[in-house]
Amino acid sequence: MLTVRKLNAGYGKLQVLYDLSIEVPAKGLTVVVGPNGAGKTTLLCSIMNIAKVFSGEILFEGNSLIGELTHNLAQKGIAYVPQMGNVFAGLSVMDNLHMAGYMLSKAEADAKAEQMTEIFPVLKKFIHRSAGTLSGGERRMLAIAMGLMKNPKLMLLDELSTDLAPIIAERVMMEVARMRDELGITILMVEQMAKRALEIGDTAYLLVSGQVKYSGQANSLLHEPELCSMYLGIKQLPGQGETKLSVAEEGSEGN
Amino acid sequence: MSTHGHFAEKFKDILLGRAFHMSLIIFVLLAFLYFSGGTSIILSILIQVAVFSIITMSLNLEAGYTGIPQFGRVAAVIAGAFAVGAIPGRIMAFFMSLPYGAEYASDTVNVKLVPQINAVLAGSWLLSLGFLLMCIVIAGAAGALVGWLISRPAIRLKEAYLGISMLAIGDFLMWVGHNWNIIVGGSVPVYVPDPFRIFGAARFNVIVPAFFLIAIIIFIYLNRLVKSPLGRNFRMLRDNELSASAAGLDIVKVRTQSLVIGACIAAIGGGLYVIYTGSVAAIGMTRLTFTFWPWAYMMLGAIGSNVGVFLGVFLLTILRTMIIIYRSQWFGFLQAAGIDPLWLEYTLLGAVIIIVILFLPYGLVPEKVRPMLPANRVKKVISQKQMQT
Amino acid sequence: MPPWMSSGLIYASGLALTAGSITLLYIATRTFNFAVASMATIGFYTVYTGVALYGGLPYQYFPLALLVGAITGVICYYGLNRPLLRRQAAEITLMMSTLGYDLVLLSLIQMYADFLTNTYKLFPRRVTMSLYDFELFGDRAAAFILPVIAIGILMILHIFLTKTKFGVAMRATIENPVLAGASGINSDRVYLVSWIISGGMAALGGAFMAMAMTGTPVMGMYTIPLMFAGAILGGLGSIYGGILGGFVIGLTEYAGVFLLSQKFGAWVLGYRMGIPLFIMAATLLIFPRGLSGIPLFKILKSLAGGSLGGEKRGVSA
Repeated sequence: MLTVRKLNAGYGKLQVLYDLSIEVPAKGLTVVVGPNGAGKTTLLCSIMNIAKVFSGEILFEGNSLIGELTHNLAQKGIAYVPQMGNVFAGLSVMDNLHMAGYMLSKAEADAKAEQMTEIFPVLKKFIHRSAGTLSGGERRMLAIAMGLMKNPKLMLLDELSTDLAPIIAERVMMEVARMRDELGITILMVEQMAKRALEIGDTAYLLVSGQVKYSGQANSLLHEPELCSMYLGIKQLPGQGETKLSVAEEGSEGN
Repeated sequence: MSTHGHFAEKFKDILLGRAFHMSLIIFVLLAFLYFSGGTSIILSILIQVAVFSIITMSLNLEAGYTGIPQFGRVAAVIAGAFAVGAIPGRIMAFFMSLPYGAEYASDTVNVKLVPQINAVLAGSWLLSLGFLLMCIVIAGAAGALVGWLISRPAIRLKEAYLGISMLAIGDFLMWVGHNWNIIVGGSVPVYVPDPFRIFGAARFNVIVPAFFLIAIIIFIYLNRLVKSPLGRNFRMLRDNELSASAAGLDIVKVRTQSLVIGACIAAIGGGLYVIYTGSVAAIGMTRLTFTFWPWAYMMLGAIGSNVGVFLGVFLLTILRTMIIIYRSQWFGFLQAAGIDPLWLEYTLLGAVIIIVILFLPYGLVPEKVRPMLPANRVKKVISQKQMQT
Repeated sequence: MPPWMSSGLIYASGLALTAGSITLLYIATRTFNFAVASMATIGFYTVYTGVALYGGLPYQYFPLALLVGAITGVICYYGLNRPLLRRQAAEITLMMSTLGYDLVLLSLIQMYADFLTNTYKLFPRRVTMSLYDFELFGDRAAAFILPVIAIGILMILHIFLTKTKFGVAMRATIENPVLAGASGINSDRVYLVSWIISGGMAALGGAFMAMAMTGTPVMGMYTIPLMFAGAILGGLGSIYGGILGGFVIGLTEYAGVFLLSQKFGAWVLGYRMGIPLFIMAATLLIFPRGLSGIPLFKILKSLAGGSLGGEKRGVSA
């Protein structure tokens, strides 16, 4: 669905990504992991035309995205949830949802917002509170809901688990897995919490210093002890195979 | 590399450089003005260039090198102009046992007093020179004082807050001068004793080299200053306040130093300006002339390069003068509609600022980024270190 | 109403609008708009041209002033501000660019005044607009009408920013341009509307102020420090703060001059500009973030529902 080929990108004169190629298959959860400063966020920013693309190709459903204005990308069905500042703190939760669905009609947006409060019941409680007063986990839920408001074909998630308590982060991860499983959305996720992300992901890319170090099955990356310990800080090998299944189960229970 | 080749290369650099092209344009325009307008125009342009170079260089120190949004340049200029209008004449009056109190600045007395002082000054070149130096010292001191006073509250404020506050202070000083009669006569201009009276009709011919000498001294001083450790502190503050303070720089102190030195120099410019015009009209000390024009000069020339500033002042002063001289020939269509083409001076000022920002963000002669140690010296140091180990 | 109070109310209403205009544009585009000076003067000349050439009351030309101000704003946005915003220019550069625009406008205003003088034999360089006003409750009507209009504009703005989709989108863009862009909001249009609103407010503010003071081509240039003082006093964080700040500055100037001249004599009049500046300086020394730094104001703001200008303007990279 999304193809990035030989991408060189960065900010101003600073190059961050070098000849980067990735492939995001439809209906799958693609995970991008890697150490700090590897260029994971820059990859998402280049897709959204926030960072500067020097050369290379970014194709979405066969069409080039390079040079496309950020606000038009939302209309093409790409939702982007940034790492920081992913909700409008000064606006109420309701207004946040409506803003996220800016290109929808009023009726559509109302219906969609209603649906979101059903998927994320926690938002219903605080629907008229300003988003700045929500807790970290609630904000992240709101951010995901805002991404979903756009009826996206592709969702770009940037480090959703940052500074969340482990138990909350776990819940956020489960929501992501559920989006793929139940809503059938294609997801490109950048994650610091590498182990958990690789467990739920389908395809994985390991990014180091702006270049791809590994690509392939998400689970298999966990079986590369050298890469895991050197770049991801994962020491212990997890059990095999059953992880994905258990997440799906937990997800449905938690609903 | 042979020294000969080095010089040839340097010469080529100069010939191809923007500064050289600008100088050529300035020279051609000056020649054109000389043949069509005569010497007096050239002299008045040169005097203005000298005075405004001084003021703009001081602005460049604060805004260009230190990164302070100095929108109140006029405040320091006013300090110098008022000080020269109010103090040296009174000192002379005191020694000549003429009235030197509040009545010195009243219009009826002042108009009789100053010619008497001028007569004494015209009698002795030593006294005239002394008077000129006294004016410069008094202006500089007044400017430094005002700069320091402004720096006190200014330190607490940030970027735009700081700029607006300084702009307001400059305006307020103008109104104080306009209303408080005993400084420089309030709404009636006070005359300034003329240290160049001794040269009679050749007055302007002497003012030009004298002012240029002062401007060059300030130019040399500033160039040495910005290369000194203090100047490096200024640039550190400009480039990144946070990392400058993290590196142990006392931001408050450095900013105060820049404001005081800048104000002192600007005030000297203001003092020279009123010596040249021969009178101080408080209401004429507007932010348009003494803040915004210097900003335009600096931006056109180059922020952070005094050579650029000088060329910027020169080019724009010539253009301003040309509007004044040729207004009826070139802009007759405006005059036909009853519109004074002099307003085009504002248009020029605004247009220069806009064009520079949009198309020449680094000015005509951009500041060269010089590393504190040249690369070849760094290499030498490293290789020496390696040899030792 | 004593004369200082009616003049003060008129003047303060005008200053409130101009300070609000500065604040709105600053929080939307990071641009300190110097051109508010000339925009205000243009607003005054629009109304003056109307009453002097076509008769009637000044009030009926206010919509025209709004329109003309909005047009000057649009020109500045497309010609100057947009290219610079795209280039992510520094705040000082944005500020200087509006200064250049202001000076061009000032020269046009001066030429227009010359034109009015020669073509229509008017005296546009010293205008007493209050002559065209009518009497209401034994006082100048403007003293009642203008504060009401100012409050009305504030309320319309509030409704626009909290109840309409585009208004909320404006607040969203101001708070977080990246996220707003990713949500499909065209930030370009938000900035354009900010320029339209603030241009209109500035021009109307100028037309208001001329009802209390002498209208001249340099009227905006002389009062711009006070407009900025109002915006700074308001803390530059919320448009309501800016409007309140401008109002406080305007009213204290008239009240202060009146009180001080009663005590010390008429010479105080010459230093009237010092009073609001002193108030600004004193406020900034106690509350470095202006009126919106005062806790009480924060409470009021949260009661008013949502703020314009968010907590963070950070762009994550």
